[in-house]
Amino acid sequence: MDAFDSALAWQRLDSRMLLVHPVRDLIRFLPAVIGLLLFGRSSDSGGWWGLIGIGIPIALGLSRYLTTSYRITSSRIEVRHGLLSKQVVSAPLDRVRTVDLTASPIHRALGLVTLRIGTGQSGGKSEERLALDGIAAPAAASLRARLLHLTPSAVTGADADGDTEAAAAVDDRRVVLTLDLRWVRFAPLTSAGIVIAGAALGVVAQSIHTLELTPSVDLSGLAHLGLALLIVLGLAVVLVGICVLAVIGYLLTNFGFQLSHTRSDRAWHLRRGLFTTRETSLDDARISGVSIGEPLGLRLAGGARLSAIVTGLDKKQQGSSVLVPPAPRGEVDRVAVEVLGTARPVTTGLVGHGPRARRRRWTRAMVPAAIVATAALVTSYAVSWALVVIAAVVLAVGAVLAHDRWQGLGHALVDRHLVARSGSLDRRREVLHTPSVIGWNLRATWFQRRGGLTDLVATTAGGRQHVRVLDLDEAAATALAATATPGLLGPFLE
Amino acid sequence: MAEPDTVRLRAPSERVSPKARLMWMCTDLLRCVPPMVLLVLATGPWHWFDLPTWSLVAIGVLFLAYGLLVPQWRYHVHRWEVTETAVYTQTGWWARERRIAPMSRVQTVDHREGAIARLFGLATVRVTTASSAGALTIEGLDQQRALAIVEELTRTADSVPGDAT
Repeated sequence: MDAFDSALAWQRLDSRMLLVHPVRDLIRFLPAVIGLLLFGRSSDSGGWWGLIGIGIPIALGLSRYLTTSYRITSSRIEVRHGLLSKQVVSAPLDRVRTVDLTASPIHRALGLVTLRIGTGQSGGKSEERLALDGIAAPAAASLRARLLHLTPSAVTGADADGDTEAAAAVDDRRVVLTLDLRWVRFAPLTSAGIVIAGAALGVVAQSIHTLELTPSVDLSGLAHLGLALLIVLGLAVVLVGICVLAVIGYLLTNFGFQLSHTRSDRAWHLRRGLFTTRETSLDDARISGVSIGEPLGLRLAGGARLSAIVTGLDKKQQGSSVLVPPAPRGEVDRVAVEVLGTARPVTTGLVGHGPRARRRRWTRAMVPAAIVATAALVTSYAVSWALVVIAAVVLAVGAVLAHDRWQGLGHALVDRHLVARSGSLDRRREVLHTPSVIGWNLRATWFQRRGGLTDLVATTAGGRQHVRVLDLDEAAATALAATATPGLLGPFLE
Repeated sequence: MAEPDTVRLRAPSERVSPKARLMWMCTDLLRCVPPMVLLVLATGPWHWFDLPTWSLVAIGVLFLAYGLLVPQWRYHVHRWEVTETAVYTQTGWWARERRIAPMSRVQTVDHREGAIARLFGLATVRVTTASSAGALTIEGLDQQRALAIVEELTRTADSVPGDAT
């Protein structure tokens, strides 16, 4: 059959979705279904209600299957759905940035995956709609190869038979990184780990509270243990809880993590997940840089993490751009070098920002700390001597932060890559390919201008949408921008 | 880095319309009205908390100073320039922000007239790029001037090759 013809026909999703939809809808409507069943039992017309309760979700699932279809023409991918209000979502094929294959446990049991297409359009809603929920795994793999493989010759040469293509894609797959289970030791050290654990603890505490499960422990026996010991015990329990939850969270998302590169479709492939598996493919040409995250905790333990700056993917779709989960620094650097294709932006020493930038780091950390400390000291007469300790701690933390932030500050311009590092608790070393720099923002407050400093921001269409070089000498900032994007600043220089 | 001492970025050449000062006075003062009214109501008829009258007056004076002086400062800072190859703006007051975008990366050019801006015959031109961190806004332009800039920008951006990403 002619490839072009087969591509133009509207195709349904996999028929096995007929099993998935009703189960999922049933779960979603479970409270209503149970309510209906209970109501049915108490009323006369018993069975009918139960039938309606189960029938509606099944009918909904059926209609969803029947009304959803997709097709790929030579230039666009189109998905249409809706029973009453029909809707066609389409995107040009050359706008495809990422292809994401996700499989929930139900999908996996049936050999299905959900294919999501990232086109980098900022309207998050249409982004969600460009999803083919439920196609057979091999078909999805060949579809992905076709979507990412978009040189003109590849489109005309695309074979209707996807298997050969998928096989070819597997052949030249080069595995760059596989998860080492020992890396879970980094899980509790990331802010994400703490947030997940905190949220989980919050939910538990909330449900205990709402269910009024007051623990009926006789506390009088503990009283003689002393308050301090209780606090220490409590903190230890919370800490252990956070660690365990963070490790579980890390394993859930990153189990089986594998990063590989295929030359045939020039893309990075990333697979991970314990129950719900997720496979992301990033087009080589769309990767405009990397961001090496070294939050304080990770850094102290010798770890880091890596994500890609993908043109057209913004911060909301960060999940699609993780390249290395929290892992040893050496591994992160190695992968960063592989992805960038050059080592110097990752390994080179950075240019520091001079004494005025240092003074600014210190004033910005110490002034708020000093205000808090002074307030604590002033009130300590009236309230408690403990406030003196708090004042000292606040000042010490401020000093440590100031020093660390100063140490982290730096930038470089090597091999057509802009490198910028800043931050302490959330330190990042960002590397951006200079052709991906769209424009420049130079921002300086009155204080900064007085010190001859400015923040230099390179705007880009991926990741956090910008790379910021903090507190740079004004002349150095101008020179850096002028060198990175030759010609752009020319007319505005004097 | 090539001779960092010799290159300096100059400010953009064009100022915005002098009437922009009046427009900013209006918007800045209007912005101060709700918190001030709330403060007066909270201490007066509602009795939420007690503030001595002199502190209310002081806060009012601060708001007034903000509404009258900051627009002058803003006018002093706000500048713009459009060349064949790039758009360059300077905005802000306490924090000054200079933004440069090459013509080849311009995606959309908007012309906007807010209700207050229209009272003064002013308009805003907004130039967006593929980066959400890189939009350039020129406030307080004469309407005719703004339309001319939009037309010029659209023409130049169209003539420069590239897909703007």
